[in-house]
Amino acid sequence: MRISHASKAVALSAALALTLSACGGGSSETPEGNGDAQAGDTSYVVSANTTEPQNGLLPANTNEVGGGRVMDLIFTGLVSYTADGKTQNELAESIETTDSQNYTIKIKSGQTFSDGSPVTAASFVDAWNFGAAAKNAQLNSYFFESIKGYKEVSAENAKKDTMEGLKVVDDTTFTVELSQPESDFPLRLGYTAFFPLPEAAFEDPKAFGEKPVGNGPYTLAEWNHDVNLKLEVNEKYDGPRKAQNGGIDFKVYQSTDSAYQDLISGNLDVLDQVPPSQLASYQSDLGDRSVNSPYAGNATITIPGYLDHFKQGEEGNLRRAAISQAIDRQLVIDKVYQGGKVIAKDFTAPVIDGYSDSIPGSEVLTFNAEAAKKAWADADAISKWDADAELSIGYNVDGAGNKEYVEAVVNQLKNNLGINAVAKPYSSFKELREQVTERKMTGGFRTGWQADYPSLYNFLGALYGTGAGSNDGDYSNKEFDAKLKEGLAATDPAAGAEIFNQAQEILMKDLPAIPLWYQAVQGGWSENVSNVEFGWNGVPLYNEIAGK
Amino acid sequence: MLSFTLKRIAQLIPVFIGATLLVYFLVFATPGDPIAALSGGKPMTPATEAALRAQYNLDQPFWIQYGLYLKNLVTFDLGMSFSGQPVADLLGRAFPVTARLAILALLIEGVFGIIFGVIAGMRKGKFFDSTILVASLIVIAVPTFVLGFVLQFVIGVKLEWAKPTVSGAGTWSELILPAMVLGLVSLAYVIRLTRTSVIENKSADYVRTATAKGLSRNRVVRVHVLRNSLIPVVTFLGADLGSLMGGAIVTEGIFNVPGVGNLLYRAILKGETPTVVAVVGVLVIVFVIANLIVDMLYALLDPRIRYA
Repeated sequence: MRISHASKAVALSAALALTLSACGGGSSETPEGNGDAQAGDTSYVVSANTTEPQNGLLPANTNEVGGGRVMDLIFTGLVSYTADGKTQNELAESIETTDSQNYTIKIKSGQTFSDGSPVTAASFVDAWNFGAAAKNAQLNSYFFESIKGYKEVSAENAKKDTMEGLKVVDDTTFTVELSQPESDFPLRLGYTAFFPLPEAAFEDPKAFGEKPVGNGPYTLAEWNHDVNLKLEVNEKYDGPRKAQNGGIDFKVYQSTDSAYQDLISGNLDVLDQVPPSQLASYQSDLGDRSVNSPYAGNATITIPGYLDHFKQGEEGNLRRAAISQAIDRQLVIDKVYQGGKVIAKDFTAPVIDGYSDSIPGSEVLTFNAEAAKKAWADADAISKWDADAELSIGYNVDGAGNKEYVEAVVNQLKNNLGINAVAKPYSSFKELREQVTERKMTGGFRTGWQADYPSLYNFLGALYGTGAGSNDGDYSNKEFDAKLKEGLAATDPAAGAEIFNQAQEILMKDLPAIPLWYQAVQGGWSENVSNVEFGWNGVPLYNEIAGK
Repeated sequence: MLSFTLKRIAQLIPVFIGATLLVYFLVFATPGDPIAALSGGKPMTPATEAALRAQYNLDQPFWIQYGLYLKNLVTFDLGMSFSGQPVADLLGRAFPVTARLAILALLIEGVFGIIFGVIAGMRKGKFFDSTILVASLIVIAVPTFVLGFVLQFVIGVKLEWAKPTVSGAGTWSELILPAMVLGLVSLAYVIRLTRTSVIENKSADYVRTATAKGLSRNRVVRVHVLRNSLIPVVTFLGADLGSLMGGAIVTEGIFNVPGVGNLLYRAILKGETPTVVAVVGVLVIVFVIANLIVDMLYALLDPRIRYA
């Protein structure tokens, strides 16, 4: 799911990458979760902040945090993710494959949606076909692209609307054939896009999106747009994420500033994003009711390969390395975020299985002003950088905090490289994204990624694969593509991770994006609740929260 | 009077069309691609993108987009937001809350502004007058968001007299605090306006005549001074209603009021033309009607003013 880029007053939407506002962060070691939920009041209705979901609540159309956090609670997929990003079976009895290309998926029998209709193999197959079909225009459609027959259903004016790679065997079994071996396919199955849908959903998807009927630990009892979403416990749910409270009342906030005031006055129980204005003081305000820990997201700067002097090759690589080494990341983190981020050591994020902080070549991500100057001079020897030339870093002003960190980075470039670097504001996220997608940027720009599912590949494939959907800098490296493919084909996830990290060695040389830091969640909770823990993606594990 | 009213209401039509055309064009002309923002930078298949563009007519040139909008408007279809909700529903939820907020703010600034203004004007140069002048100067000088945060923190968080934010319902009592913040700056202006006007009228011939006739001071102030002093104040209040409704973005943000200001702000950032145009359209209507009411009040306040 993407990150919300906006933050200040608006929950605007989203962004991929780009953001600061992110909601949330994750941690496996929440300080003072206060452990045993048994001691808590399990009938207490927890209030939590959210932003208005941007679309009707359909699995394949929910691609941002506001809707995603609700979807994760009212639906459940074949697997779900634990706080530390491991997958656990939910509806899946077993997911079997011998070649990472053909999967046989058995689901538990006797499972139902909250309206009583059964969850069968067809609930999945139909939902996935619906999500992939072009005529339904679902935002997450690309998530099904690995499945055989996807091209035929997703093209404009497609005639077919079912993928040939999906076959129902019996009520509780279906098979999936991918168009190539992809070992991390099972990891994706906990993502929103892969949730099942009851038959009723297809009759009128739009109406269903307003009043979704799911199979998760909660049901959506009320949705008052721009005001709140009330979740009640789903008694029919029988899985590992059983509710430890009496329901969740999500309040829609236009700014996290007002949510914070509600938190400290006891009118809000859980806040997953402390506003920038309170970063300096929230830990003293809240004491052990606060958390600050990294989650599966990062912030980067992309300098596209279509710019002069930055084309892929020796000169471009030297210049990117120079820029990377010229940024004193820790200083920026301390000054802008009060220390609330962690220096990036790779292109993915901690919390992900297979993460390594010592990938060969990663020293290019360490501040070293001298090496930076030397690399820049070496690049000048190949083709001279005009001393008056401007190097801009673009950012959208409608996301709180963007300006501060981009300007800090730009100052580092000015001081440490002696070049004319400028921070270039764009009036809105939509303006920045338009320039980026039309390849009209005249300089670098802020990017980033928040993982959809806990996997190294999720950070690498969509961003740096040749021609990939979010490859904003037009990066292309055959060697890297080959490594990705090899990693996907590995049958053992650990072996796959090793190959993905070898692929990252190539990225360290080419720097298609310059990693800055890992995102971290700064959150807090009230005295009324206990056992608050934040997940691998920075979203609180709402079902585990209990009253006091 | 009736024909005057009808004429003014008829004026609404060209004003409304002109305003919506202008706003529609302005949103159209702002840089950025709403669909690119919808994907949030994640990949989007070409088919999905094309379908979304077609759904919101974004693949059409300006005149066709605007024409289609007008065509739907005739059937009271205000279009769809990017979240797939009818804009009419968005308006229906946000406007009542904002209207309550604006009316409360208007009441606060009207009632207190006129009372304080009259007292200050009648006691020009005295202690009360000086205090009010200094206090209103401070209020005018301090930005709304500072006032808002301070009041929210003191009254909502420290004293806990009210909740720091407004619930979704936006009831009258909840809105008093935000309305105070919203109305405070205008309150200062109303005080100063009333005061100046009262001072001017105090020495007018008809006031002296009234006093010389031996009327009670109370009656002189109420009927002769105040009534004649109200015209500029009423003009200000009428124009202010519109800005209170459309310009409450800061106040709505601080107190999390689900009103029109934030709806408009978010829609502008997203490039959601139908919502922007609809909100502005309704605000235009509010403005025109408020001014019409002001004009009628003139006749009521000053019998010399007549509308043929």
